[in-house]
Amino acid sequence: MSSAPSDNNPVNPAGEQREDRRSRLRGQSRYKFGKLNEYATAILEWHGWEHNYWRIAVILVVLVLFVFSMSVPMSLAFQSVYAAILFAISMFIRRYTGTLFTLVMVVFSVGQSSRYLYWRMTETLVLDNWVDGTFGIILLLAEIYAWMVLLLGYVQTIWPLKRKPEPMPEDTALWPSVDIYITTYDEPLRVVSPTVLAALAIDWPRDRLNIYLLDDGRREEFREFAESVGITHLTRDNNFHAKAGNINAALAKTSGEYVAIFDCDHIPARSFLQMTMGWFLRDQKLGMIQTPHHFLSPDPFERNLGTFRRVPNEGELFYGLIQDGNDLWNATFFCGSCAVIRRSILLDIGGVAVETVTEDAHTALKMHRMGYTTAYISIPQAAGLATESLSAHVGQRIRWARGMAQIFRVDNPLFGKGLSLMQRLCYSNAMLHFFYGLPRVIFLTAPLSYLFFQAHIINAEALLIAAYAIPHLAHANLTNSRMQGTHRHSFWAELYESTLAWYILRPTLVALIDPKFGKFNVTAKGGLIEKEFLDWQIGAPYLIMLGLNIAGLLTGFVRLFWWNSFEAQTVILNIIWTVYNLVLLGATMAVATEAKQVRANHRVNCNQKAMLKLNSGSRVVCRASDYSEGGLGLTMPDAGMVSLHSEVRVSLFMGVREFVFPARVVFARDTEVGVEFEGLSLQQQMDLVQCTLARADAWLDWTDNRVVDRPMRGLQEILFHSMKGFQHLWHHLLTRVSTTLPQGAEDKKPGKDVFYHTLSKKMTGAGQQETMMHRLNGFVQKGRAVLLKSGDSLRARLARGRA
Amino acid sequence: MTVIAVISPKGGVGKTTVAVNLASAMAENGRVVRLVDMDPQNALRLHLGADPGDANGLVHQTLQQSSWYYTEYDSAYGVSFIPYGRVSEVERITFEAYLAQTPNWLRDNIAELGHDPAGLTIIDTPPGPSVYVQQVLSIANLVLVVMIPDAGSYATMPAIEGLLDYYCAHRSDFYGSYYVLNQFDAEHPLNRDIKNVMQNTLGERLAPYSIHRDESLSEALAFQQPARDYAPYSQSVEDLAQLAVWLENKVARVAR
Repeated sequence: MSSAPSDNNPVNPAGEQREDRRSRLRGQSRYKFGKLNEYATAILEWHGWEHNYWRIAVILVVLVLFVFSMSVPMSLAFQSVYAAILFAISMFIRRYTGTLFTLVMVVFSVGQSSRYLYWRMTETLVLDNWVDGTFGIILLLAEIYAWMVLLLGYVQTIWPLKRKPEPMPEDTALWPSVDIYITTYDEPLRVVSPTVLAALAIDWPRDRLNIYLLDDGRREEFREFAESVGITHLTRDNNFHAKAGNINAALAKTSGEYVAIFDCDHIPARSFLQMTMGWFLRDQKLGMIQTPHHFLSPDPFERNLGTFRRVPNEGELFYGLIQDGNDLWNATFFCGSCAVIRRSILLDIGGVAVETVTEDAHTALKMHRMGYTTAYISIPQAAGLATESLSAHVGQRIRWARGMAQIFRVDNPLFGKGLSLMQRLCYSNAMLHFFYGLPRVIFLTAPLSYLFFQAHIINAEALLIAAYAIPHLAHANLTNSRMQGTHRHSFWAELYESTLAWYILRPTLVALIDPKFGKFNVTAKGGLIEKEFLDWQIGAPYLIMLGLNIAGLLTGFVRLFWWNSFEAQTVILNIIWTVYNLVLLGATMAVATEAKQVRANHRVNCNQKAMLKLNSGSRVVCRASDYSEGGLGLTMPDAGMVSLHSEVRVSLFMGVREFVFPARVVFARDTEVGVEFEGLSLQQQMDLVQCTLARADAWLDWTDNRVVDRPMRGLQEILFHSMKGFQHLWHHLLTRVSTTLPQGAEDKKPGKDVFYHTLSKKMTGAGQQETMMHRLNGFVQKGRAVLLKSGDSLRARLARGRA
Repeated sequence: MTVIAVISPKGGVGKTTVAVNLASAMAENGRVVRLVDMDPQNALRLHLGADPGDANGLVHQTLQQSSWYYTEYDSAYGVSFIPYGRVSEVERITFEAYLAQTPNWLRDNIAELGHDPAGLTIIDTPPGPSVYVQQVLSIANLVLVVMIPDAGSYATMPAIEGLLDYYCAHRSDFYGSYYVLNQFDAEHPLNRDIKNVMQNTLGERLAPYSIHRDESLSEALAFQQPARDYAPYSQSVEDLAQLAVWLENKVARVAR
């Protein structure tokens, strides 16, 4: 607060402003400086928008301009200059914050991409012979898909709402009753118990909070556990419709006004309800509030590439940006967990939807169709386990893709009543996203159609292609980096999509044709990977594509120097594209190499006050640096104070309250001490969860180690991982080959395996990664310097922009 | 000059330890601190490295009609102290009789020590009501009551409140009495319960930091050092450091 309250200042300006801000929720100004800001606000608030004919007139003018810019034919020189100017403007304005500038960049990007596509459609298709024609049309369709997703993506995320939590009323008598559902099927108790204990610690009036363990496995162990902690164990006598059916059955047996749903491994923070329930009291038509799915363990990409908490993971684009963007258009959809739903509205739509396997999104769609609203609060209030292995991850995505395709087929958001235009577009984008399988595979193999079959899929000279395609790609990258940079690094989307493309291809197409086909696979959580291995099974399709691309590369060189040296530029272009595909596929190999998991319990970083009571009776001040299910990592001034294997008492604090836990020292070196808890009573387990995982601020620092995105940096990261991927592939291929050879051959070359093993060990260090990054950086900089021989000022300007 | 009295209803709660360590923490924060030991146990000096064989103290100086100046010692730890002195039973009885007849004795002697407005004098007392406590409470600007979290201590609270009412409440230069919980062990439910009850009863008057039960404090005495020098990383030292900051705020209000 700026000034202390004083007698001379009875009016509280902060209180007045709060009312204004609430009423201007959607028109909230998000940048605070500049004349341009004033002009933009003036335009937004112009009274003329209320009259329909002004709106229509402006839209018509914009449409005309758009069509004109898209279709006006330009010579190569003109196109290049035009593209260069727009690109230069984009590079200049990207240094300034503000949604207005983002809008400008979006407009440029849409313009350039549409221009590219129009040119492709009208001037580069060869339809007189079926080889060129077929391949050409296939590629064009894939590009149209990419263009649609690009545009829809811009619309969806142009203005993230960033909704703030609404405070609950002071009088707790007004607070409604809430049922907490924790759904489980076959997960072990040790995965579920922290969730239950954290739910017990949620801050809410005790008489209005009921916790239910929805056990579809009907296990005795769970019933006993539920009884011992004092919650209700609900079962049903069948397992129809999996989780959706589970929840619907529980709805019939419970009566809270609101239902909070958690997966069995999503541990809620104690402030979960207080952060979310306020909006329900404010908006009577609000059906559901969703919060992010935050992961306390690395997903397969993060673990196998070693990028946990340094590069945003795949889910973060969705939970950090897309849902926030959806929220502006009232199109937030339910994600199955970490959400609160109003019971009356849920019953109104007939319970959780059971027609598709992504019952969550479908439920939200039904709510929207009936005119109810949904909301999103992007503050992580729960954390769970990510998928343990690439195969489990793929299984999960297949289910999502299949489900979304089913909804697209069964309850298409573009048609049917009840949705606003923007809701239709947002839902469509969410579903269309999952059809990337086929386009991505097409992109990964497209240049081969020329390199193998000499099919001219893009019938234009290489320079012209470059003049159209490069601005399209560059603007898309630049704009996406600006809009999404904190939530996804550039080029990583290519990696995520490439890794999953083959697997979601078939399920989506099949579901599109026949939605009933296919069964529901549940992803198991909590397994341990004992040593590093390359998942050949999962990686097989990519190995094939890798092989094809390598063959294509070799063929390309042959064509370049002998067969097709007359159209050398085309060959070179295709070779460059193939190299890019190889980079992506190499990175996919790195993801398919499952890294060894050292401990079964996932460690979560923290920085909390703690106290250690030693055997001698002295109590030492220390800090907890990480915790896991069974133990704690502590930092103390001198680890020599504790002796290994000694019994100690660890105290953790929650505010002024202190909780003591018995533990044993399992690790002590320099200033680091590791303790394992032993023999904790149920109350102590609950206290431990309260002090660690269920803290209200447990996940607020999830972005602290984040590296800010720059497009070139993203490319370097992918290059780095790609090289590691090839190296892993080589190493594991050798291992496989050497294990099938007779013993003698193996003895002859023990050094090679050791060499590669130590090389891979060395390369996993973060320090080595930094060195590699520096080398790559140097290479890129040299290349850039060569390209920018002209104009010192231009180079200086770009250097400034890069810094 | 601010005078802080450290009293306790019962013995063995660690009042002297708290007084000495609090003084040393406040000296660390820049205050000029002097400790006065009014407890016949004569234990305060031992926390600060005094020679156990030295029998000098304020009792001897008083009985000899001379100033306390001659019995003020500097320690190696940033605080100076005035011990009670090793006395025989006869000397003690004579001294206490003299005190009973001279209610302003302490006030006059303190005044003699100097008028440094930023100075701090912390006076340690014997447990329970006594002629010493009478005199100390009559001149203290702040009073700290040291308790341990047990039922016995809690039961003596009314008696202490009575003492404070009688000697302190009506004085214009009295700025408040506060309770400090010592030897707190969160593992024992009784400790936690007593602390909760005291928080509910006393509110702001319970010091926000309790001093944890810590062997390092006792060991420090064995080594004749304040705990912050003996075991700088112990929890009790951290608690005392935080208490010192809290106390500093209270003292600052007195100085104004």
